[in-house]
Amino acid sequence: MNAATANSYPIDTLGLVVTVLLVAVAAGISYAMRLGVHRQMLWATVRSLLQLLAMGYIIKFVIERNSPWLAFALIAVMILAAIQITMSRAANIPRDVMPQVFLTLTASVILQISVVTELVIRPHPWYAPAVLVTMTGMLLGNVVSAIAVAMSRFFADMESRRYEIEMLLSLGATPFEAARPSIVASVKMGMIPTIAQLASSGIVLIPGMMAGQVIAGADPLTAAKYQFVVLAVISALTLMADSLIMALVYKVSFTKLDQYRPAA
Amino acid sequence: MRLPRGDRNNTVARMNTHTRLVLSAAHVTCRVPRTVAKAAADGEVTLPTLFRHLHRRGAGAAAAGASDEGGAETLRTLFADLAFSLDAGDIVDLVGPSGAGKSTLLTAIAQLNPHAEAELTLEGTPSTAMSPELWRRQVAYLPQRPTLTGATVREAVLMPFTLRVHRKAADGSSLAERRPDEATLRRTLDVVGCTDIELDRPPQDLSVGQQARVCLLRTLLTAPKVMLADEVDAGLDEENADKVGAILAYAAEHKGMAIVRVRHRSADGRANRTLRLAGGTLTEETGAAAPVPSAAPVPPAAPVPSAAPVPPGTEGSAR
Repeated sequence: MNAATANSYPIDTLGLVVTVLLVAVAAGISYAMRLGVHRQMLWATVRSLLQLLAMGYIIKFVIERNSPWLAFALIAVMILAAIQITMSRAANIPRDVMPQVFLTLTASVILQISVVTELVIRPHPWYAPAVLVTMTGMLLGNVVSAIAVAMSRFFADMESRRYEIEMLLSLGATPFEAARPSIVASVKMGMIPTIAQLASSGIVLIPGMMAGQVIAGADPLTAAKYQFVVLAVISALTLMADSLIMALVYKVSFTKLDQYRPAA
Repeated sequence: MRLPRGDRNNTVARMNTHTRLVLSAAHVTCRVPRTVAKAAADGEVTLPTLFRHLHRRGAGAAAAGASDEGGAETLRTLFADLAFSLDAGDIVDLVGPSGAGKSTLLTAIAQLNPHAEAELTLEGTPSTAMSPELWRRQVAYLPQRPTLTGATVREAVLMPFTLRVHRKAADGSSLAERRPDEATLRRTLDVVGCTDIELDRPPQDLSVGQQARVCLLRTLLTAPKVMLADEVDAGLDEENADKVGAILAYAAEHKGMAIVRVRHRSADGRANRTLRLAGGTLTEETGAAAPVPSAAPVPPAAPVPSAAPVPPGTEGSAR
């Protein structure tokens, strides 16, 4: 990902200002038409600008230091932030699933680094922050939304199935047997955007990472291969994370005596 | 009369006339030392302290959270130190005012109620000596609301046999095939007066009365030792209510099941004992007007004229 090649087009301050102005115009339209999203839109734009710039500076700093400790410290901070985002994004879930979320996110990051980064990309040095941190960021982004959706759906679905669950338990079903329909529905729900993105990429949609690489001057074929690896890996790890979080979390809806208890 | 704690052999006024029973008496001893449940204004039993706390914190804008803000609810113990036992072939009617905790008691016996504690013994084996699933397979709770799964009535009725507790023994070895074959299924349906129910129909197409009977049959086919029927005839017309009663009587008489019924209709003469749960105490109603259960092997499928018509909807749902 050598961005500083001859054909790269860096964004200058004017570019940023024009971008923000465009958002302001869109928000103005929303305000005029009373669509009610202008406030969130502006706030989210400001947030994303600051967060991305901050991330850019941090990654730059970590790359320049080129220290494995610093890279992994940054990844640890990213995991902690991801837990917080997951917990706040998943509506109506019990707070005590936090350890399970931590475990799931950590497991997918470890799997990603050990198997994918080190076997597929094989950077030099092995801890190259440019690869490690960016890959982790992309993975976490996807996993966070998938497991947040899956958990929200799971607890809502269990609640709506409470009579069925009572019936199943009363006939001797184990918690897993009673929860299985909700688990299946939730994993599917969490995976829909990921699978749709995987299947539709390249037809009309040029995913952000490939677009970024090509604009920054990389060979489109290299960018395509990178994009495929990233998408496929993220999809696979997201499915694993989705399954793992369900396996870890469904028991929260049951007592030690395998009784159903409404969670939220 | 308040039954003494731990009295497991309290077999008052057995009216059972069956002598062919080989099964030794099935005892369910239930003592509930501490049941805490939130009783809302309408007597509805919902969340206890522990979970109410969670509820408050996690509910956000959910409707349930909003109703919680009323703040008028109090926590109370529905009942404590109850004890009773029942024997194979018993049909026990559990009666009492709305909100007394009849459903809570049944779910406590089935180990389904997270807010109840109970010491339970089945045929001398304490419930703690087996998995909750194995206990519930033998002590089956039948909820009031009919819930059927699957695409057809056949699938719905055979669903329990897909569960692990029916396929594997406690040690993990495979059990012999318990699933009833097609002929058994049809015969059972006919013998309990369900000739009107086709096995290939989607369960949602059935009438409420038919659904209630199919739910009952589903539990019946799993051959539990104890069946806890929670208002399964509530909201049904006289004909369907009578069929439900007949099915239960059949199960008690021919399968030796011990049956506890929560009912709000007038006594139908099928129960041989009546327990009253009121004000936190359980009383055996002796000298009940109920006649000896009919010994007819096949219950009448035709509607039986009821001696005393019951005003429908004398009580709201139990939860």
